[in-house]
Amino acid sequence: MMDVRRIISRIEKNYITSNLKKEERIDGRGLWEYRDFTIKADTIASAEGSADVTLGDTRIITGLKYDVGEPFPDLPDEGVATVMAELLPLASPLFERGPPDEQSIELARVVDRGIRHADCIQTQKLCIKEKEAVYILFVDIYVINHGGNLIDAGGVSALTTLLSAHIPQGKIGDNGLEWTGKYFTGKDIVKELPFILTYGKIDDMIFLDPNLPEELIAEGRISISVTEDKITSIQKSGVATFSIDEIKMLCKKSMEIGRKLRKELNLEQYISSV
Amino acid sequence: MPLVIKDEYPEKLFREDGKRLDGRDLTELRPIKMEVGVINNADGSAYLEWGNNKIFAAVYGPREVHPKHLAKPDRGILRIFYRMATFSVFDRKRPAPGRREKEISMIVSDCLEPILFLELYPGTSFEVFIEVIDADGGTRCASTTVAALALADAGVPMKSLVSAIAVGKIDGKRVVDLSGIEDKAGEADLPIAITWYNEEISLLQFDGDMDLEEMNDFLNLAEEALKKIHQIQLDSLKSKYIAIQEEYSEEKGGKGD
Amino acid sequence: MGNDTKENSFEEVEKTSNDEDEEYEDFEDDEASREIVVPGEVLTEDTKTFMPGRGTIYNKERTKIISLNIGLKQVKRNYINVIPLRGFYTPRPGDKVIALVIDKNPVKYRCDIGAKDFGTLKPKNTIKRSKMGSYRGGGRGSRDRSQNNEESNTSKFDIGDILIVKILSADRLNQPELTTVGKYLGKRNNGVVISIDPPKIPRIIGRNGSMIKMLNNLTNSNIFVTQNGRIWLKGEDLAHERLLIEAIQKIASEAHTVGLTDRMQEFIINEKKKRGLE
Repeated sequence: MMDVRRIISRIEKNYITSNLKKEERIDGRGLWEYRDFTIKADTIASAEGSADVTLGDTRIITGLKYDVGEPFPDLPDEGVATVMAELLPLASPLFERGPPDEQSIELARVVDRGIRHADCIQTQKLCIKEKEAVYILFVDIYVINHGGNLIDAGGVSALTTLLSAHIPQGKIGDNGLEWTGKYFTGKDIVKELPFILTYGKIDDMIFLDPNLPEELIAEGRISISVTEDKITSIQKSGVATFSIDEIKMLCKKSMEIGRKLRKELNLEQYISSV
Repeated sequence: MPLVIKDEYPEKLFREDGKRLDGRDLTELRPIKMEVGVINNADGSAYLEWGNNKIFAAVYGPREVHPKHLAKPDRGILRIFYRMATFSVFDRKRPAPGRREKEISMIVSDCLEPILFLELYPGTSFEVFIEVIDADGGTRCASTTVAALALADAGVPMKSLVSAIAVGKIDGKRVVDLSGIEDKAGEADLPIAITWYNEEISLLQFDGDMDLEEMNDFLNLAEEALKKIHQIQLDSLKSKYIAIQEEYSEEKGGKGD
Repeated sequence: MGNDTKENSFEEVEKTSNDEDEEYEDFEDDEASREIVVPGEVLTEDTKTFMPGRGTIYNKERTKIISLNIGLKQVKRNYINVIPLRGFYTPRPGDKVIALVIDKNPVKYRCDIGAKDFGTLKPKNTIKRSKMGSYRGGGRGSRDRSQNNEESNTSKFDIGDILIVKILSADRLNQPELTTVGKYLGKRNNGVVISIDPPKIPRIIGRNGSMIKMLNNLTNSNIFVTQNGRIWLKGEDLAHERLLIEAIQKIASEAHTVGLTDRMQEFIINEKKKRGLE
């Protein structure tokens, strides 16, 4: 496509739309097909877990750091996980410098909710001493190249990062907080494997995994997080509306495609063996 | 408070066998890998792995200046934004840029600006975004090196490349290419960059103590090492094109179109 | 504006100056050394025989000629040139480029032409002037008045329109001025636009248009190649267009090799078979 700045031309809109009407997409995919994922895990030496994920042209690098601190008063025996996202200006002429904007906050929150409500992280295991010392996990998502659909790529990146984790295990000893010499791995921390599936809508056509031109044209978008047998979170954005039948259809599709993707990507292979 | 305190001040910086802690000799460089054209949205880009350092650089320009009041009517401006990811360092870094990042941005900019022809692009800006996603000593040198590469990849006319490296003194011995530990625990640290156009120094900082003879020796050591860095930069710029040429020259022909 | 007629676009690439003439030849030159050089690389130390040409300068002591770009080294007469393989577009008068209307007000359009400056298109440059100046007395009644209106407002084009324009003027102080008046210029209502690296454009055209002729014929499409790296194309269907886009991108990435036209012909023929296209 023509180098995309802020405005997409009419003929490009028509091009994408008229081909969608024939159920064809400009990159040759079907309506319910993902672009290729490539995944590399635990590549960052300074981090306690990391993943370098590409989805088509989109590339996201995520890293995990931890700290030990006080728990929330209403969850005294649970660790805390927070997700942050940065749309780096180097990733696209569409991204500006500065503090996180709406788009990066949305990305962080949708990925966060996709993980949180799937009960993915065993936060009770992340407790050293009730009411006093729990783990705080920082999952930080950095977008390196924007090729569309940051959410799904971000989700896989965050999940793989958690699976690749190797966090020093602590205990309260005689001199206070000390290291047991052992590590938590993804096997201890991750219980579920939620995937987020994002669909775009243009006119009345819906399709999975929008690439960048499709995303810029789409009037609506819906992201559905699924585990093997549950739907755990949904986010609709954009001005387009979805009919009830469409939503039911998409939930069903998400379960199917989610299962397939989970099997194909086989993220458990990235569990670190420390 | 992280549980495991990284031992950043080990007692000895040399092993029993005389090698440095990571197994290197005094003047040996860490493994370095460079690649260009890695971020296809950018006008030019490069990626570098230098020991455990992993750094991306992307160039956008020439383009409009934002905010407008920074634009210069008679020339373009070069803006460098050096940033580190939160997980690039052992103690998680706060996301917002700090003073060190701003200082390094400025130093890199002073180093790269003279090789460009900014008078040809009045009223516009070239922006170079450097993102360190893993850091282990010598990031400002690695960043300068990869930023120069990204500018070349963008097709910005340049008088030459710039190469940078840190030399220093650890446990009394002069070494080339300080790792993170050596940087923190050593006695002297000298990041240095050379502009190949006039073969003069365009970046120079120093922390520590040394005498005059040591300083002379350092500068000589550095020059040798910088030539090696330069060669790696040149190879990474050419390799993609040469590989394609070789692929097709084996076929029948060489007959021009 | 004649969008649907089959445009044989290679004819359209008028050579407006000797420089351009040579540019098309640069990639195709049998004797071109094909040596890849990079910024700062020494091209020669023989400054008595050779002079710095395109993309080169003397070193500080004027004892060597060095390259300013990543590109192909070329010796022509006693000039040493570097044909850049990467670079951005700089508007020159006479260039035909593809513009995207990004803004407009009642007196002008603002266009993205893929350069550091936006281009300005004024209404008067969107209307063909009739031989009799319509504003010079001689009332022809309503026809003149409507022409006058079109000349003075920006109702003809909208934000988001793709226009093929010619650059009227471009200098350091002012934004480039554009026009849509001329053969094959004007708004495109269909097709798609892709971008490649501007330095590779001569390669897509080929010597005397040989490459683009071949692309047009083999894929049964219309292609319009412009100087700012943007290419408008329309094929008979999406499958053909996809093949064409891939072919163009392949040409761009192999622009520095020899035997490219033949190789691309083979590629397209093979791919058509593989994909079941005709």
